[in-house]
Amino acid sequence: MEFTVLFLAVAVVMAVAWWGTRTLALTLFALTLLACIATYLHHASDVLKLSF
Amino acid sequence: MTRSLAVTFNALGLYAIALVLLVAFAAQLVLHELPCPLCLLQRIQFALLAVGSILNIRFGPRPSHYALSLLTAVAGAAFAARQILLHVMPGDPGYGSALLGYHYYTWAFIGFAVAIVAVAAMLLFDGQFKEGTKPEPMRTFARAAVLLVLALTALNVVSTLLECGFAACPDNPLVYELLKPRL
Repeated sequence: MEFTVLFLAVAVVMAVAWWGTRTLALTLFALTLLACIATYLHHASDVLKLSF
Repeated sequence: MTRSLAVTFNALGLYAIALVLLVAFAAQLVLHELPCPLCLLQRIQFALLAVGSILNIRFGPRPSHYALSLLTAVAGAAFAARQILLHVMPGDPGYGSALLGYHYYTWAFIGFAVAIVAVAAMLLFDGQFKEGTKPEPMRTFARAAVLLVLALTALNVVSTLLECGFAACPDNPLVYELLKPRL
């Protein structure tokens, strides 16, 4: 579900960058990038099933 | 480099991103290989990479717009590197099938590295940032690139919703959660 929301957020940022204001696009971009990094860190903290 | 030429290069960058998203879709639909969570995150970074170029086309080239692309490409490269390292042990078959000898996450790492070099190369040309020049009217070539990337991202929203449903996406997805027959 979180990946659907992230894709939707990126689509919104693109739409705002194209049709909206620059400041709003930059703000939404920052929030989306931070959300991506937070999602990555959440998954990176999972226990790894290594084969050795 | 003039502002007009820089905008053309940014539009070409958008077409390159669209190509990456199309190849990823082709693997998903033709080979029936569903993207894993880390694969989806890399695909999201490719889409996010487009925002800097869209801003450059709409508002004119600015170093801050290129900075957005650089930040996104570095994050994407880090995510791809993590997946490469997960499968680095000898004997590990990797995730999914290989394309021209490399798995998709390896290609993603190469793609993000190329993006970093390309953006750094674009930043070398100060002429594009001169405010004095009259802004050029928006060309169909650039407008089509923006709409193409936007449409592909919207398709990814639908595809990811079908794949993961309303719960957490499985580590190794085999079926579309929302298309699974209910008992």
